[in-house]
Amino acid sequence: MQTRDPITNLINALTKLPGIGERTASRLAFFILNQPDELAENLASALIEVKQQVGYCTQCCNLTKDERCMICQAPKRNQNMICIVESTPDLRAIERTGEFHGTYHVLHGLISPLEGVGPDDLRIRELITRLGQSKIEELIVATSPSVNGEATALYLQKLVKPFEIKITRIASGIPIGGDLEYIDRVTLSRALSQRRELN
Amino acid sequence: MLIEGLRIRDFRNIEKAFIEPHHRFNVFWGLNGQGKTNILEAIYLLSAVKSFRPQTNNDLIRFHSLNAQLEAKVDRGGSERIVRLEIHSKGKAVFLNDQKVKNLRDFFGSINVVMFGPEDVRLLKGGPSARRKFIDRAIFNAFPGFAFVSQQYEEVLKQRNALLKKEAKIDPILLSTYNDQFVEFGSEIVFRRLTFLETFIPTLQSTFEDIFDASFTAHMEYSSQWLGEAKTQKDIADHLDRALENSVAEERSRRFTVVGPHRDDLSTQLNGKSLKAFGSQGQHRGFVLAMKIAEIKYLKERYHFSPILLLDDVSSELDRSRNQFLFEFIRHEMDGQVFITTTHRDYILLDEDLRYWEIDGGQIKPD
Ligand SMILES: Nc1ncnc2c1ncn2[C@@H]1O[C@H](COP(=O)(O)OP(=O)(O)OP(=O)(O)O)[C@@H](O)[C@H]1O
Ligand SMILES: [Mg+2]
Ligand SMILES: [Zn+2]
Repeated sequence: MQTRDPITNLINALTKLPGIGERTASRLAFFILNQPDELAENLASALIEVKQQVGYCTQCCNLTKDERCMICQAPKRNQNMICIVESTPDLRAIERTGEFHGTYHVLHGLISPLEGVGPDDLRIRELITRLGQSKIEELIVATSPSVNGEATALYLQKLVKPFEIKITRIASGIPIGGDLEYIDRVTLSRALSQRRELN
Repeated sequence: MLIEGLRIRDFRNIEKAFIEPHHRFNVFWGLNGQGKTNILEAIYLLSAVKSFRPQTNNDLIRFHSLNAQLEAKVDRGGSERIVRLEIHSKGKAVFLNDQKVKNLRDFFGSINVVMFGPEDVRLLKGGPSARRKFIDRAIFNAFPGFAFVSQQYEEVLKQRNALLKKEAKIDPILLSTYNDQFVEFGSEIVFRRLTFLETFIPTLQSTFEDIFDASFTAHMEYSSQWLGEAKTQKDIADHLDRALENSVAEERSRRFTVVGPHRDDLSTQLNGKSLKAFGSQGQHRGFVLAMKIAEIKYLKERYHFSPILLLDDVSSELDRSRNQFLFEFIRHEMDGQVFITTTHRDYILLDEDLRYWEIDGGQIKPD
């Protein structure tokens, strides 16, 4: 809602951001107001630029300002291996490990009928098109081990079955450096049931 | 399991109290409406976070106070813990050794209690949800990981119901996804329930015979429309899967999940006749008492610990010989800590290992 008072408008706009309440919003608004014009100008143009220029990668639905994202364009990445993630921050987390050399597919959400999110609301159709177009060797489903993350993984598994592509799920279990005594029982029992043979 | 210290602040009608309970018997006595049940409720809340009586957070906070604070020093076979519960009108916060507990499932099991009070006859007379709650709570007392399974089940059930409700034409792959999850968690719940009942029912029967006499045979059965004779988790899963298949048409028209552990029940009989339909008041009470005692024995046998027993005004509801039995049992057949409330001290058939408190207008006075 727009009012006639610009400060109120700014505060209202800021409270729409996640994690920002009325008080923080008004602190930010007055901070911006008291800074040199440059700050407000940079902020405004960065906001508009990001909305105008950044869109979905035509291959993997990662955020990018080009037609294809940097990862899809990198010549060394294994194009036959796709890691499916819920969101761009999740993609970035996996990228930071430096361990994964394939490409990604970003779903932009998880299935949740309760919140009105069905498969059609996610970038699943794009994934299926992609499977039809190129020879994919392995799909790694890296959604979180929550009910929705598991449901999405299971749904994908059923959906791609006709393609006869190897599909794997990331392991969930005990964090490195974790002290067994302090790990919750669920994580521990899951880790036990997914144990692997040594040698 | 032992409460060594209990601190109460601005809870119900208790402004401020600190007690150091006896490791065996603790009796709170006083007139009606003085705060006896409130003390048991405080202990119960420190274990279960939710109360045994229907209430809002505001009901628990002393009139005109901001929040209520409950704290217990608990000894669990040598290791000590401080459990603290803060009750605000907007919610509750739990602390273990001063660390805020983020996920309640890491907390449950810190204090185990079994409660028996006048409201408990509703367990047998009322609807099935109270009986499911009894059995699930008993399992979870012994096996805290069960809380996770039932949480997940509830969540899957909600998603599945939302799918059935919203979509006119349901994506068959999506439905089969939720069916798989539903069967996975649902079959585990039922498997745990059956496993529990296997040892629980014989204990219940022998306890009931002790309370009344050998001419009475108590029986309890898991009652479910879809389970058949399934015993293993695999069989249970197969049955549940088939039950979903068979209820497709009904689900289509009613638009929610019509079968599963969330609709199952426990049936109770006395000498082969439905207790609910034919049992007397006293037989109902005796049966519930036998269930609670069997639960304690079960925990003791399987897991080698005694839960804390809370007895709210029980004696006034039992006849002389049933009351005698109860005290015989807590004296000789269990070694855990017991908290008892009463209006009459002569109901209490105990003479040693005992501490009395008088409750008067929310004040707890040692005596
Ligand atoms: N939030 C509250 N603030 C202040 N007083 C409260 C609050 N909630 C309940 N009470 C008071 O607590 C008293 C009831 O306490 P309680 O149920 O423990 O009684 P009791 O000693 O068990 O009695 P009885 O023998 O009748 O079962 C009532 O007087 C009630 O008004
Ligand atoms: Mg009472
Ligand atoms: Zn890309």
